[in-house]
Amino acid sequence: MSQVDIKDRLTLPDQVNPTRGLIATGVVGLIASAIGYFLNHDQFFFSYLTSWVFYMSIALAALFFVMLQHVTRSSWSVVVRRIPETLSYNILPWAIFLIPVLFGMHTLYHWTHHSAVAHDPVLQGKTPWLNSTFFVVRQFIYFGIWGFLSYRLHKNSVKMDETGDWGLQTLLRRTSGPGIFIYAITVGFASIDWLMTLDPHWYSTIFAVYFFSMSIQAFFAVMILMVFYLQSKGVLQQTINRSHIYDLGILLFGFSIFYAYIAFCQYLLIYYANLPEETVWFHHRLEHGYQGIALALLIGRFLIPFLVLLPKKMKSIKNVVIPISILILAVHFFELSWLVMPLLKEHGYSINWMDVTTFLGLGGIFFGLFFNKFRKHKIIPENDPLLEQSVNKHL
Amino acid sequence: MESQQSTHSDSLHGILAEFRNPKELVDAARKVEQSGYKKYDAYTPFPIHGLEKAMNLKDSPLGWIVFLHGLIGAGGALLLMIWTMGYDYPMNISGKPYIDIPSFIPVTFELTILLSAFGATFGMLYLNGLPKFHNPLFNSDRFDKVTDDGFFIGIESDDALFEREKVKDLLEEAGASHIEEIHD
Repeated sequence: MSQVDIKDRLTLPDQVNPTRGLIATGVVGLIASAIGYFLNHDQFFFSYLTSWVFYMSIALAALFFVMLQHVTRSSWSVVVRRIPETLSYNILPWAIFLIPVLFGMHTLYHWTHHSAVAHDPVLQGKTPWLNSTFFVVRQFIYFGIWGFLSYRLHKNSVKMDETGDWGLQTLLRRTSGPGIFIYAITVGFASIDWLMTLDPHWYSTIFAVYFFSMSIQAFFAVMILMVFYLQSKGVLQQTINRSHIYDLGILLFGFSIFYAYIAFCQYLLIYYANLPEETVWFHHRLEHGYQGIALALLIGRFLIPFLVLLPKKMKSIKNVVIPISILILAVHFFELSWLVMPLLKEHGYSINWMDVTTFLGLGGIFFGLFFNKFRKHKIIPENDPLLEQSVNKHL
Repeated sequence: MESQQSTHSDSLHGILAEFRNPKELVDAARKVEQSGYKKYDAYTPFPIHGLEKAMNLKDSPLGWIVFLHGLIGAGGALLLMIWTMGYDYPMNISGKPYIDIPSFIPVTFELTILLSAFGATFGMLYLNGLPKFHNPLFNSDRFDKVTDDGFFIGIESDDALFEREKVKDLLEEAGASHIEEIHD
């Protein structure tokens, strides 16, 4: 057992219990969205997919983060690790919320129309991959793998709290090594399935990395907001210190650059080669008002975070990193809309009330589930062998 | 100035004190800092956390130097390409506009990195006063330990408050295990 002297309490106090409020918001939002389904079911499915992928991307990036910390035996992140562990635990329930997307496949995905495929040699060539049965089977495979990884990493980390068995660290590391490898492949294919095949003719070989870069940037924004939320409620105020915030700020900064690099790579190659079957995708997304969103992505996800977080001091100042994180999350949502919505509204983007209700509804459920799980266990891995180093970290 | 100083203190460069361990060194550095000396430095075989606080060191301006170089790199690259490709010798490349910002970005990016790296390397050397071929501290045999297991503080005779006996007393009081005078 470790002998770390922690001054904070290791469980969420009873008065910090946003679960019920969040779940209530979620249920109300989803009921409103369900009403929307009967009014305009096309809009419902597209809005739902956007919001569902928004939260899914955060849970997936959280899983990656946890595995990365185990593989590298990072000590700095131990005090904040229970947050991504619990976020990624949401992957399994999130499979249930995929069901509406599967019911809406015919609306969302053009390649599910047999009549369209019959007259389209390009789609005929893609039928071995793009057919409804295999699509659904793939979802089971993805969620089986991610569910197994996230469940195992969370369960054994929590088990170490109780038993103090440091041998579990080896188990976690051995799960994470191959886990990252499998994760990269499955997330790549999943992002292609969910988002890229909306335009079944179009392809981009960097799309999977592009999706990952968006996700992980949004994930660090969520981490920063979550840490400050918990501290504002008097939780972990001593244990999570400025140096941990600084590290999260660095990663947010670094992945803002990574995102810009990858997103621009995709754009530049397609722009420069100028092949019609590739440029058509950007063509839809750079006119009829969508160019405004494209510009907002450049400014909100790269230029502002890059310039603001560039000086060392800025990365740990609360009043700087919170607005930047909110900005990044807002732009993340609009980027997903930018990827999805041109299929529904070719002639101009407008935000629909169902975008809001699905976003709030699924968000309420997502974070409701998060806090429900988070409060059941210790909020930091109290027996982790690297906890002492993490607690004693300073700038 | 140099010669005046040396006549005053018979070519005394400064006073070097050795400490037994990092903890004593940090405490001593705090004491020296609080006594108001400006021209002193601590010498250690490895980085010691908390020493920069004890010595009250300001943040290095290196970041700003790098940022400025990066700006020059980005701006210079863009301007060069806009001028050559757009005005001086316009060329039609696969029907793209003459001033074609997206295809200028890779070069801009590379030059930003290159000049930032120059700024970081040479700025660091400049701020550290390098290259410097000799330092009077090397005259002390004991000082060789600084790359192995020696922890030193040296107060230079150029300091406005420098008085030989007072400095020695201060360092003694701070717990120095060995004190010596360093001559040029």
